[in-house]
Amino acid sequence: MARGILGPMRPARPGLAAAVAVVAPLCATLLGLLFGDVAEDAGVASLYLLAVVVAAALGGIPSGLAASLLSFMGLNFFFTEPELTFRVGKTEDLIALLVFLLVSSIVGTLLARALSERQRATRREREAALLNYIASKLLSPDPLDRRLGDLATVLLEPFDLVRCDILAEVGDERVEVCRERPGSSGERIEVPMLSGEDRHGTLVAVRRDGVPPLAEADRDLLEACARQISVALERARFDAAIEAARVSSEASQMRAALFSSVTHDLRTPLSSIKASVTSLLDDEAVHDQAQERELLQTVLEETDRLNQLVGNILDLAKVRAGALVPTKQLTAIEDVLESVLHRMGPALQRVSVRTMVRPDLPDVMMDAMQIDQVFTNVLENAVRFTPPDKEIQIAIVPWRDGVQVRVADQGPGIPSEERERVFEPFYRSEAGGGRGGSGLGLAIARAIVRAHGGRIRIEGSPSGGAAVVFELPADAPSIVQEPV
Amino acid sequence: MTRVLVVDDEPQIRRALRTSLQAHGHDVLTAGTGLEGVERAADSEPDLVFLDLGLPDLDGTEVIRRIRSFSEIPIIVLSVRDQQADKVAALDAGADDYVTKPFGMEEVLARLRAALRRTHPDEPAPAVQRFGDLEVDLAKRLVTRRGERVHLTPTEYGLLEALVANPGKLLTHPWLLRKVWGQGYGRESHYLRVYVRALRSKLGDDAAAPSLILTEPGVGYRWIAEPSP
Repeated sequence: MARGILGPMRPARPGLAAAVAVVAPLCATLLGLLFGDVAEDAGVASLYLLAVVVAAALGGIPSGLAASLLSFMGLNFFFTEPELTFRVGKTEDLIALLVFLLVSSIVGTLLARALSERQRATRREREAALLNYIASKLLSPDPLDRRLGDLATVLLEPFDLVRCDILAEVGDERVEVCRERPGSSGERIEVPMLSGEDRHGTLVAVRRDGVPPLAEADRDLLEACARQISVALERARFDAAIEAARVSSEASQMRAALFSSVTHDLRTPLSSIKASVTSLLDDEAVHDQAQERELLQTVLEETDRLNQLVGNILDLAKVRAGALVPTKQLTAIEDVLESVLHRMGPALQRVSVRTMVRPDLPDVMMDAMQIDQVFTNVLENAVRFTPPDKEIQIAIVPWRDGVQVRVADQGPGIPSEERERVFEPFYRSEAGGGRGGSGLGLAIARAIVRAHGGRIRIEGSPSGGAAVVFELPADAPSIVQEPV
Repeated sequence: MTRVLVVDDEPQIRRALRTSLQAHGHDVLTAGTGLEGVERAADSEPDLVFLDLGLPDLDGTEVIRRIRSFSEIPIIVLSVRDQQADKVAALDAGADDYVTKPFGMEEVLARLRAALRRTHPDEPAPAVQRFGDLEVDLAKRLVTRRGERVHLTPTEYGLLEALVANPGKLLTHPWLLRKVWGQGYGRESHYLRVYVRALRSKLGDDAAAPSLILTEPGVGYRWIAEPSP
């Protein structure tokens, strides 16, 4: 909303009212005297009526009535026989004069009342518009300081301010905004921002020097604005409290889930490692070379599994602590994919992997290690659900100013009602039939992609399986992730 | 016999590396702190240093700087997954290569061999080098594949020459850019990607399963082909 729509609210001006009540009939008299020869008495009466109308329009009911009385006297003195006296010769003249007085007072009063009614309506409209604007501004998704700043700006014009400060308190947080415009300072008004019993801060308005003091109605309006703001501040405080409670309750549920899941997931590979190694160290056991190799191979595989799991748990801890902040640099996403495929080579051998990378991909600001983790987690999932000798397709195409990656498998697919849930930590799909996985991979992948300002979701795949699709913008401000 | 210095504060890592490296016929010295590592590097004159980046006393990058002040011996950094930025800083400070923990011994040994080959070549690198069906004649600036001449632009050839001359070594983006494009370059890593892609396609290397050029995302490239006799 442009601030001009509100416009300044002018208080009544008593000087003008008095002046116009005198000047208007005076002008009518002069005109009447100048053109007295031409003008009939009726014409002079019309001039006086006009004067009353003007006075009522500009000065309100008192001006109208005063002008009406003065006009009555002028008409009597200058234009009624005998002229230049207040005496009236003929009865019909007296009646005409009294009728004039009556008509002019009625016309003046009605007009003044209608006009002031309209003015009040306009004013009410403006007040409503102002309060409405404040309410809608307060609901906007902008950060609080920005919203308050906009509000301070919007108050400057209607109240003729050179400076408006809003000092708000939301819980423990203090937000202070100050908006100014050129001009020397005059009256300073402090309005407490109250909602019920609670005080949410102060609104300080400094008026322009030389303007008349704020009228009662305007002061009421300013207080209404302050009240409106404090209601919103209170809501913000409630929202914050509710959010904190939700996070903490989720966090404690998560912690419980984490403990049981992590204990199990960490112990399983450790058990097989320990079993293999103690068997190898056992002097009494006789292993042939193939058995020895198999035990060692187990140790190697379980170590890799443990390493991947620890990586995910660390990332989860970082997300929780709000510390998953990407260290970004301009990187080619195909380089990251390449290195993941190279590293995961042995794990990918049981399926076939087809990559389709468009040659015109832009570089993207990313944390290469984190995006590596996203690819690794997504591919591990895909491999887990893809039957041997089926295909995993990886396609990377330009998307807006960034890139879109699509990893499609030929596994059983994920029903649409589960497609969001698989991103929850420790969620294991029923369709997976209990196949491995810590249930952390996709949750971490989502946290990382979001921290890069991107999106990740599950889609169906034409080949019947599931497709994980994620998009990364060319560059987005690093976003500290909310706890998953 | 080569002498290898292992600087790591974890006794288990020191033991594992010592055992495996000795089994491969190397003489192994160990140090548990950065200061001790710098001292041993100075007085025992090892042929190569494995350096852990997360030492309790000195920052890994600082250890590299101190060793570099008196010696040009290869330094291979041992880093964990989260130390991407430290890794790049270590390479800038003069480290030759890195291995990410947890590492497999075959990886450690490959890096060790590549580094030693550069500092102690058994024989001067031949002018004509063969990698499978690829032949690079550095004297005549000729590249052939399966006996057929491969036509490379001067920049592509410059890039290939830089890679082949440093087998197994991690060549960082800034280093390659300065080497091939000249001083004044260093931040234009997208040039490299375009030329590496062109080079790969001309040499028949598959990006998803590379046998010649390996990409280290965000860091650089490595020539991984083993020379054939």
